[in-house]
Amino acid sequence: MTAAGAGSRSPRVSLLITCLGDMFYPEVGVGIVRLLRRLGVSVDFPKGQTCCGLPLFNSGYRAEAAAVATRTVRLFRDAESVVVPSGSCAWMVKHEYPGLMPDAALRDEATALAGRTHELSQFLVHVLGRTEFESAVKGRITYHDSCHLLRGLHEAETPRAILRALKGVEFVELAGADECCGFGGSFSVRLPEVSTSILDRKLASVEATGARCVVACDAGCLMQMSGGLSRRGSSVRALHLAELLGDAAT
Amino acid sequence: MSTRAEFMGRLRAELAKTSGLFPAAVSERPAAPAALADTIRRELSERWPATLERFRSEFERVGGVLYRVPAHADVAAVVARIARERDARRLISWHPALLGFDVAPSLRAANIDVTAMPRSADAEDDPRLRDVVAAADLGLTGVDLAVAETGTLVLVSGGGRPRSTSLLPAYHVAVFDRSVLVESLAQVGVFLEAWHGDGHPPADGGAINFITGPSRTADIELTLTRGVHGPREVHAIFVEAAPGG
Amino acid sequence: MSEPDAVLATPFRQRAERALHDDFLQQALTIATTKFIDLRRQAFREFPEGDALRDRARAIKEATLQRLDRYVDQLVDNVERLGGHVHFAASADEARDIVVEIGRRAGARMAVKSKSMATEEMHLNAALAAAGITPVETDLGEYIIQLAGERPSHIIAPAIHKTKGQVAELFERELGRAVPADPEALTRVARAELRDKFLQADMGITGANFAVADTGTIVLVTNEGNGRMVTSLPRLHVAVMGVEKVIPSMTDLMVFLAILAKSATGQKLSSYTTLVRGPRGAGESEGPQEFHLVLLDNGRVRQIAGPLREALSCLRCGACLNVCPVYRQIGGHAYGYTYPGPIGILLTAMLNGPASVKDLAHASSLCGACADACPVRIDIPRMLVELRTEVDEQRIAPWSERVVFKTFAALLGRPALFRLAAPVSRVLQRPFADGRRIRRLPFFFGRWTATRDLPAVAPRTFSERWIELEDGR
Repeated sequence: MTAAGAGSRSPRVSLLITCLGDMFYPEVGVGIVRLLRRLGVSVDFPKGQTCCGLPLFNSGYRAEAAAVATRTVRLFRDAESVVVPSGSCAWMVKHEYPGLMPDAALRDEATALAGRTHELSQFLVHVLGRTEFESAVKGRITYHDSCHLLRGLHEAETPRAILRALKGVEFVELAGADECCGFGGSFSVRLPEVSTSILDRKLASVEATGARCVVACDAGCLMQMSGGLSRRGSSVRALHLAELLGDAAT
Repeated sequence: MSTRAEFMGRLRAELAKTSGLFPAAVSERPAAPAALADTIRRELSERWPATLERFRSEFERVGGVLYRVPAHADVAAVVARIARERDARRLISWHPALLGFDVAPSLRAANIDVTAMPRSADAEDDPRLRDVVAAADLGLTGVDLAVAETGTLVLVSGGGRPRSTSLLPAYHVAVFDRSVLVESLAQVGVFLEAWHGDGHPPADGGAINFITGPSRTADIELTLTRGVHGPREVHAIFVEAAPGG
Repeated sequence: MSEPDAVLATPFRQRAERALHDDFLQQALTIATTKFIDLRRQAFREFPEGDALRDRARAIKEATLQRLDRYVDQLVDNVERLGGHVHFAASADEARDIVVEIGRRAGARMAVKSKSMATEEMHLNAALAAAGITPVETDLGEYIIQLAGERPSHIIAPAIHKTKGQVAELFERELGRAVPADPEALTRVARAELRDKFLQADMGITGANFAVADTGTIVLVTNEGNGRMVTSLPRLHVAVMGVEKVIPSMTDLMVFLAILAKSATGQKLSSYTTLVRGPRGAGESEGPQEFHLVLLDNGRVRQIAGPLREALSCLRCGACLNVCPVYRQIGGHAYGYTYPGPIGILLTAMLNGPASVKDLAHASSLCGACADACPVRIDIPRMLVELRTEVDEQRIAPWSERVVFKTFAALLGRPALFRLAAPVSRVLQRPFADGRRIRRLPFFFGRWTATRDLPAVAPRTFSERWIELEDGR
């Protein structure tokens, strides 16, 4: 199924940018908007978004997370599809939102929302049917499976399908790709030494591949990995999948 | 110390508070396990060579050594060879009536001490017997089930077939024929149901041991060592002659 | 409720840090956990029925729990019918007293023990020794740590943190024997030392992996043979078992046997699976003359209707430890309680209450590798989050943390205020930003920047840029 042809309405996506994406990686969001438009998808951005609530939820502040989730469900109620550039936030919406809703009506809404919410790579591959894109980078790359995308949304294939099809790029598997990078949200600052030693193990694997960049579909993982790479003065970059897609460039 | 009533009362009170996490059922059990076990035996008797081959492969995988001999009369020679190769001179064995053959004459002729375990429990915890058992290098047993899926020997304890024969000596030698071969753990389950239910166990002792290779540990730096407390080698001698023949 | 360790006097974060700086531990953990992971993966790769059996196992545990009273009654009746005795312990203290009393009444002077986490829970050894009954651990790893006066650091490989050199030194010091630092030689020494103990002991103490209600059988899964020794040679056998280990039938047992060893060590079956029923049979000249089963509650029963119910399905295989990124970095001792690793946090809460895990509940990145590896599919991360909620609700978490999170939550509900967060951050970060990177931050945030750079808040957030993008629609 590809983007609409002449005469039919183009698919419409509402972007859930995520708090980290909004504050720290806006260029990734901008690239995604351009990419989707190039693919014939119209994009809107429901205003008043803040956060999906996962940090509150994971730290056990369930009632507070439920309030944020309820707000978000209402914000996206008119969305045709929701695209989320982060596996953990997509998981939060799809997996946890329904159980957090205060009443049956909202629960139904949240369940419906979950059904039409997609992590970016899953949207590109499963909904738009696209795996081939121009590459914005060259050389050897590798991929880190973020925990919520891999184990929460059971997705290991869509990002790899896209990366393998990029021309001019040599994709190599990362040893221990499915192992945590050590971010874990507040874990990264509650137990910073443990978080860093987990990160060191991850970065050692990355460096062992000889790749010029490690790709992930989660802003938290990217913050953690790029934070470590930058601190050690490495030339290896940690990039969001969207940053590799040439169609996303200006 | 709580009484049974107090403990069960507490348990029931908690159980009453919830219907559980999700609908779930325990395993369906065979209605007539003894009959089912007989059927399994009959069907397996047709294809015992394939089952034996699978057993061999798994048994060797866990470090066992398998031998094949034509008849019971040939068992003693194999045991003597195993003993000679290891400089082992003292053998204890299940009572010959339970094994269906007696290795003592041939082995004694080969200078191996043989002590058969007494049939009845009159030899009440004879300390001399215990010393003999503790000093033995070789233990000779039969087999109640040989499981191909895992290379496992199942031994039931009882009078004349004590637990220690397959446990204390450094070398365990087990003799079996096609009648005890089974394919899978699931089939073992049927036999266990039958033995405890509407069938008869091979013996009425308090212990059933599943033996899968020699005793082992990797507790020191994950280095595999054999013969920690139990035997360091397990040998199995398959007698090809059809049972009863 | 078991007594807290002296270890717990040090805060968890410090215990973790200490472990991170222990070079040998780091090496040992990497080698051991990687090996166990590979072995388990290989075993299940060759076992396509494995996934379906795991679902079956999970269902059997849940179904059994739903009628646990019936199955416990059946088990007790069968054990007694076979001439065994059953005792009921509401707490670890009670269980400890029961076992010691059984030993005393039998005039026992020495007890050989086969590995039992349940007896670790109740600190049984100290009580036995105080009553004049010398306890001897016979599982090689447990024997080593007993000599060293330590606690186990892994559920199935208790001495994983020790080098062979350390073991050799230990044997020399405690046994007065000079042994080369070679696992074969060390094992031979242990075999000889312990063989005597097995033969002389008056009492054998074990745990139980399962108890089959239909037949009154207890099941021990071991590799070394000590489980068999302990249940065959001494005249008295006492088995201590958490009440949740009961399973209905032999048919059910096969399902668990098919997946337990594979999950723990990658073996199809462990070297020995021992099914023992009561004291010796009528015709036997070997085997215990007295058999006692001690059924243990110690916080388990309360969870039947509690948030940690799923954790009652645990088979104690250790698979979750091996895959846990936190356990793999800090090892078992840093957790400070009997049970380490992901399931250990839940079991600690079960046995000692939620306050005992106010730090441990956060010793997880919630990566989910544990739930993936668990043979009975226990959703450990979900329960860790619930424990965190309980810690917050009971105000066990520090008030400063609660203030931060509640403020954050309030901000997320007020977009107008949230919109100010970016410009305010941009001002605050100015002294620390070096281009788009921040290398150093003060106070609490220094925890991140001590080891990692941070991206600066963007000059314009996505929301701020949307105005230009909007028209492209």
